[in-house]
Amino acid sequence: MTTINFLIYLLTMIGIYGFLSLSLNFQVGFTGLINFGQVAFFAIGAYTSSLLVCKAGAPVILGFLGGMLLSGLFGYLISIPTKSLKSDYWAIATLAGGEVIRLIALNEGWLTEGAFGVMRIPQPFRALFSMDTYPLFYLILVLVCLAIAYIILSLLSNSPFGRDLKAIRDEEELSLSLGKNTRKLKIEAMIVAGMVAGLGGALFAHYITYISPENFRPIETFLMWAMIIVGGRGNHLGAIVGAVTIQLFNVSTRFIGAYLPFTPGFMAALRMVIIGMLIVAFLVFRPDGLVKERKKIYRFKNDDGEVD
Amino acid sequence: MDIAQILANALVRAAELGLLAVGLTMVFDILKFTNFAHADYAILGAFLVYTFNCGAGLNLFLSVFLAAVAAGLIAVAIDKAIFKGFRKKGTKSVTAMITSLGIAIALRNIVRMIWTSESRTYAIPIQRPLRILGARITPVQIGILITSLVAMIGFHLLLQRTKFGKALRAISDNRVLASACAIDSEKMIQWMWFLATAFGVVGGTMIAMEHLLYPRLGFDILIPIFCAAILGGIGNPYGAMLGALVLALAENVILALDFGHILSFGGLFELGSIQIKTGYKPAISFVILVIVLLLRPTGILGRK
Repeated sequence: MTTINFLIYLLTMIGIYGFLSLSLNFQVGFTGLINFGQVAFFAIGAYTSSLLVCKAGAPVILGFLGGMLLSGLFGYLISIPTKSLKSDYWAIATLAGGEVIRLIALNEGWLTEGAFGVMRIPQPFRALFSMDTYPLFYLILVLVCLAIAYIILSLLSNSPFGRDLKAIRDEEELSLSLGKNTRKLKIEAMIVAGMVAGLGGALFAHYITYISPENFRPIETFLMWAMIIVGGRGNHLGAIVGAVTIQLFNVSTRFIGAYLPFTPGFMAALRMVIIGMLIVAFLVFRPDGLVKERKKIYRFKNDDGEVD
Repeated sequence: MDIAQILANALVRAAELGLLAVGLTMVFDILKFTNFAHADYAILGAFLVYTFNCGAGLNLFLSVFLAAVAAGLIAVAIDKAIFKGFRKKGTKSVTAMITSLGIAIALRNIVRMIWTSESRTYAIPIQRPLRILGARITPVQIGILITSLVAMIGFHLLLQRTKFGKALRAISDNRVLASACAIDSEKMIQWMWFLATAFGVVGGTMIAMEHLLYPRLGFDILIPIFCAAILGGIGNPYGAMLGALVLALAENVILALDFGHILSFGGLFELGSIQIKTGYKPAISFVILVIVLLLRPTGILGRK
């Protein structure tokens, strides 16, 4: 693989994981929902889109939309119990829920091809480009979609909706007492997050053209967590910085590994030890992450014209 | 499938899960956060057992004892390095929970680095199962049942009959008040970590003994452990034991049931045999977990 191809691959993977960390950050950093099953969105987006295209013969764009919709629907479903569950319990339930999605992909072979996985997933606009230029096109496609997602999420989070979400994160009881429908807000946030991550999954599936349940192990969720913890929660830039940092580390060490006297299994384990330790070290020494959330403080003048 | 066999299998599974769930629930009880690394401490211990047993050729019981002590000390060291600081700073329990997830990933992969991802078995000769009341039980399974029973009775006596247990319960109720009564809560917390992890190592080793030992085993047993602990009412050690029993029964009964027979009201009309695929066994504890969380989040026994 030439350097330029490798760079394109690296940037594309960073872009795809950008969706997942943006989405996770929207749940954790903005709404305060601890989702340990983020990989479920990724899997649903990837499987829905590739099955719609491969089995139902739908055009790729419909596959993408289907992946987003179903993933958003899943976000809706798992957000329902947040009303009555403590965050610890919900976190455990999402972790298990992510595994159940993978088990379904593994066991329902009639639909998902089971452990063999879905092969030869078509790529959008493949015929228009040569072998050499297609990866570049796909990279641009991913980055354009990511930019759109980033802008939409930024607009959302700066709107009253976003401020309400942060209020839930910081003081749920208080926002309830101010008459905010926190339940509805959480559900809306999860639908948005599900759709963003689902698009990431669909882009992933059509990029690598082969998916199997092995791609959607819980370890993917932990990678996404590492991204938002290293990058910083509560701001979208942090999520992107985290995705870049962790993916740069994750992908580049795969290639450095070839020059080190270790077995691939050892290198993979070492990589994850470092990721686990990064999560711990950041939470202990730099809990805000690389990009600190800038909290807006609203000041109002009182009757005497002084700032409170 | 006959009832005696289902009961026997469920008892063995409960004996294994119970020891793990008790440890998880203890950490939650005292420190008020969910420790996602609990199962990985246990599996690290189970691998130490493997090294002592198959590498150094030690007796299995001595190996388990040494590994439980070693893993317990590691848990205490991690607490001193990380969670103690959180307690001092008053960090939110959610942060401690996410940190424990990071610890879990690191531990699991340290195990992979040292012992590789290969599946292993302990040096136990293959034994002919015994027939007891119509159920087939191997001597290893009988050993598991006895060990677990002894450990749980020991735990009960420790909690209820000793000064140590009294102090531990006092800390669980009110740490500030306990400190005012000259109970060194930091020292008690270290003992709690040690005990919880040691119990987990025994449970984890028993699960590995019955099936296989591999690094990802910790993750595979995490959801059932959570389920058992929450089912019984998290923070309640007796509830954890009961929860393990209920979950183990449910797992074994659901897999053995023929839903075709039930849905056709005992063969009134033809539906054929409908059974849950064994591939979904891990999902059973999840479904039970979700039902319990939604209907009765305080568990069967409730918070004590």
